[in-house]
Amino acid sequence: MNNIRNFSIIAHIDHGKSTLADRILEMTGMVRKTSMDQMLDSMDLERERGITIKAKSVRIPYKSADGNAYLLNLIDTPGHVDFSYEVSRSLKACEGAVLLVDATQGVEAQTIANANLALDAGLKIIPVINKIDLPNAMLDDCSLQLYTMLGLGIEDILLVSAKDGRGVAELLEAIVERIPPPSGSSSDPLKCLIFDSFYDPYRGVIPHLRIFSGQITSGDRIMLKSSEKVFEIEEVGYFSLGLARTEVLQAGEVGYAVALIRNAGEIHVGDTIVSADHPEVPAIPGFRMSQPMVYCGVYPIITSDYAKLGAALEKFKLNDSSVVFEKENSAALGYGYRMGFLGMLHMEIALERLKREHEQDIIATMPSVIYRVFRKDGEVLMLDNPSKFPPEGEIDHIEEPVIRTRIIVPSDYVGPCMELSDAKRGVLVGIEHPDDRRAILVYDLPLADMITDFYDRLKSVSRGYASMDYEMNGYRAGDLVKVDILVNNASVDALSYIAPKEGAAVRGRALIHKLSKTIPKHLFKIPLQAAIGSQVIAREDIFPRRKDVLAKCYGGDITRKRKLLEKQKEGKKKMKMVGFVEVPQEAFLSLMKIED
Amino acid sequence: MCGLYIHIPFCISKCHYCDFYSLVAAPAVVDRYVDALLAEADSYGGGSFATLYIGGGTPSLLGPASLEKLVNGLSRRFDLGHLQEASIEVNPESATRDFLQAAYSLGIRRLSIGAQSLNDEELRKAGRAHSRQQVLDAIDTASRSGFENISADVMIGLPGQTAHSLAGTLNILTGAGIGHVSAYCLSIEEGTAFYRSPPPDLPGEDDQAGLFQTAVDMLAAHGLAHYEISNFALPGRQCLHNLNYWRGGDYTGLGPAAASHGGGKRYRNAPCLEKYLDDPLSVREGEERLDGHHKAGEEAILRLRLLEEGLDIKEMAVRYGQDPVTSLEARLDRLVRRKMLLRDGHIFRLPPGGVLTSNQVFIDVIA
Repeated sequence: MNNIRNFSIIAHIDHGKSTLADRILEMTGMVRKTSMDQMLDSMDLERERGITIKAKSVRIPYKSADGNAYLLNLIDTPGHVDFSYEVSRSLKACEGAVLLVDATQGVEAQTIANANLALDAGLKIIPVINKIDLPNAMLDDCSLQLYTMLGLGIEDILLVSAKDGRGVAELLEAIVERIPPPSGSSSDPLKCLIFDSFYDPYRGVIPHLRIFSGQITSGDRIMLKSSEKVFEIEEVGYFSLGLARTEVLQAGEVGYAVALIRNAGEIHVGDTIVSADHPEVPAIPGFRMSQPMVYCGVYPIITSDYAKLGAALEKFKLNDSSVVFEKENSAALGYGYRMGFLGMLHMEIALERLKREHEQDIIATMPSVIYRVFRKDGEVLMLDNPSKFPPEGEIDHIEEPVIRTRIIVPSDYVGPCMELSDAKRGVLVGIEHPDDRRAILVYDLPLADMITDFYDRLKSVSRGYASMDYEMNGYRAGDLVKVDILVNNASVDALSYIAPKEGAAVRGRALIHKLSKTIPKHLFKIPLQAAIGSQVIAREDIFPRRKDVLAKCYGGDITRKRKLLEKQKEGKKKMKMVGFVEVPQEAFLSLMKIED
Repeated sequence: MCGLYIHIPFCISKCHYCDFYSLVAAPAVVDRYVDALLAEADSYGGGSFATLYIGGGTPSLLGPASLEKLVNGLSRRFDLGHLQEASIEVNPESATRDFLQAAYSLGIRRLSIGAQSLNDEELRKAGRAHSRQQVLDAIDTASRSGFENISADVMIGLPGQTAHSLAGTLNILTGAGIGHVSAYCLSIEEGTAFYRSPPPDLPGEDDQAGLFQTAVDMLAAHGLAHYEISNFALPGRQCLHNLNYWRGGDYTGLGPAAASHGGGKRYRNAPCLEKYLDDPLSVREGEERLDGHHKAGEEAILRLRLLEEGLDIKEMAVRYGQDPVTSLEARLDRLVRRKMLLRDGHIFRLPPGGVLTSNQVFIDVIA
């Protein structure tokens, strides 16, 4: 056990985590140089977005400079704030973490958030400044930030270029020297942590494990602490570049177990596995069921594709157990599903994968948070769908979820960032000045405002320099109302939304105007209205199409004009019939892109 | 029935709304061009046609001599002895007595005059090269040369146009003996002067719709029936050559930018005069053959343009077989239920109020 090192690489997004992992795999001889980029990201979409969604790990044999042989378990972590719980569980499986900072960017919001998670987990941190090959690297600034903002020793900092390999050998040495070996005894009863899982169509859900004590081998009967369900182990192994079967996993090791677990809902990241013979072994603290924060309706464009969509969602959930979904139906859109996600990025990626990998033609409705609705009769409802809200007269008040966000921004952009946060109903909690060039703004902000376009706007008002991180921070009362959207005099439930009363009319007008530009002209007049209860707060009409004709159609025009019509026909197929009105997909997300 | 179309891609200037293929050409080029047309005609190795249509561009820019050479040359290469109709387009400023007499003596009996408007202000703003008086003179000269079957092109929605000025144009044209009118709604196409700088007094979509209705009403009052989306005629004056297009018939087009349809396929010549002059057979492109479903859909949207004749679903079944026509009929019936088409036995027609929004119907008609 003394020769095992379990560690993660943690960093702000785009600071070079995957490139460093590639270089480590290369320099330890795990893979040949340039054989494949970014080994640890296997989903297409991850590669495209440059982020790692699912944690993966790999066991790397390493011979150190003094000639000793080590096994390094590199546990990859998801690189986005939506997945901070998953990150914390991956870190829990480690004794140390390599904290990577981009030499041209410095410490950013997620650098701090990740470092705090690592410190909370009691990990040894190795601070590393990456991208030192770039001409605009600011080594002194970065070192100072690591010291002042995170309290890390300047003498401990390593300089690396994951791109050209400089400093990686020294980093590998530091990993075996500085990170402590795992503790725990293989002769104690079994206790291990599930820090990830994936689905194999033949062998069911396969959890990724870190053994803290005891050992695990095929034939063992294990118990999941959260559900007390018992399974029999069929196979254990560790992660090489694929799965490598082995006899036994012992205390301190990282690996996988096959136990014919058919239902993805059985396995939860953060859960503890113990021996069925020793159910009294306590769970590893910190477990919670993943909690969706953002919900939206997902509907097939063609109503009859409902069953196909359901099957695709079942399949989808096998690989991503953090999404939840249940049936819902909408008067406007027919039968569909309500899906819940960990955050906005998670939602965007999941919807994109549904479209691309599962080939579903879908409409997603406006994302919503979970509101706490207090009825006048004393009942409290937790509602994630505005169309399920009780009539206005029955509501006493509404509370909404709030996040605490930490925004790191160069001093020059503090003004615009504060203006934006104020406009988004933020409450300033504090301002810190870690050095003379940057400020840290801490705000409490309604989650609903965060999930619309806060991050995009923040990037835009700071010319891309601001970075942010957030955590949930309870509920607070808001002066909120439900706004209904009426298309052709019928309320379209899938378009209703919850908004602060103040400014509701302005926002309603902006949305109606946006819709009037998004919904094409029809052969009849279409009134568009926004209303709170029976009070109309905005109205615009889409006037009927008076002329849509191919005036000249002679011998030379026929092919070209037929193709024009075919193109129009294709466009029409992408629209959803709401009553007699054809509504394009993007209309259902209109509210997200409204400029205040 | 098969039509022969000859494209004359020359104009003396480019109108502000025009995106058709035309060039301002020198007389020497015109002569070479006729040779090239006849060389392309040679490549067909004969053929018999029921209609001949010389269009453009501005065919009257050929002048009497080149026109004679062209028509005689075509007569030697094709069987034109059974022509039911021979048409030529002329523009008022080049419709000279010599030219019109030459055309008549060559057997051409139908004339299409590019009048567009009889309001000098409208003509000027549209960049037309002629005046109101030149239109009237051309009609007069044509009648004196023997022409009885004269058509006029009229634009709907010209900058500055009003219902009053349009009514004036149509009244005078019909009064002067015009028995066929092609009335086109102006559309602003990319690459035109109007696209680059849209005129401020351009009638909007609603105004255009109103103007079009004025034209329909006026022409009906003078006995010209609305027989195609943009075409109006006295009884017996419908353009046979164009009817053939809308009935899905075959035709052969000669010249750059000209299109052909035959043996179930469509093809065309690239719009490039220079290459065409060098080798008329080098510019053929875009060959397309549709399957039965798409072909039936294409013919359906062409036939629905014929407002009186309509689409005969029984006749379609004879041409395309049961399978494509069953699904076509289902699409048509769906439109009937939405009142976007009328059905009378086995004939489908556009409703009178649906002409200007017919694309919305055609989208659902094509396969």
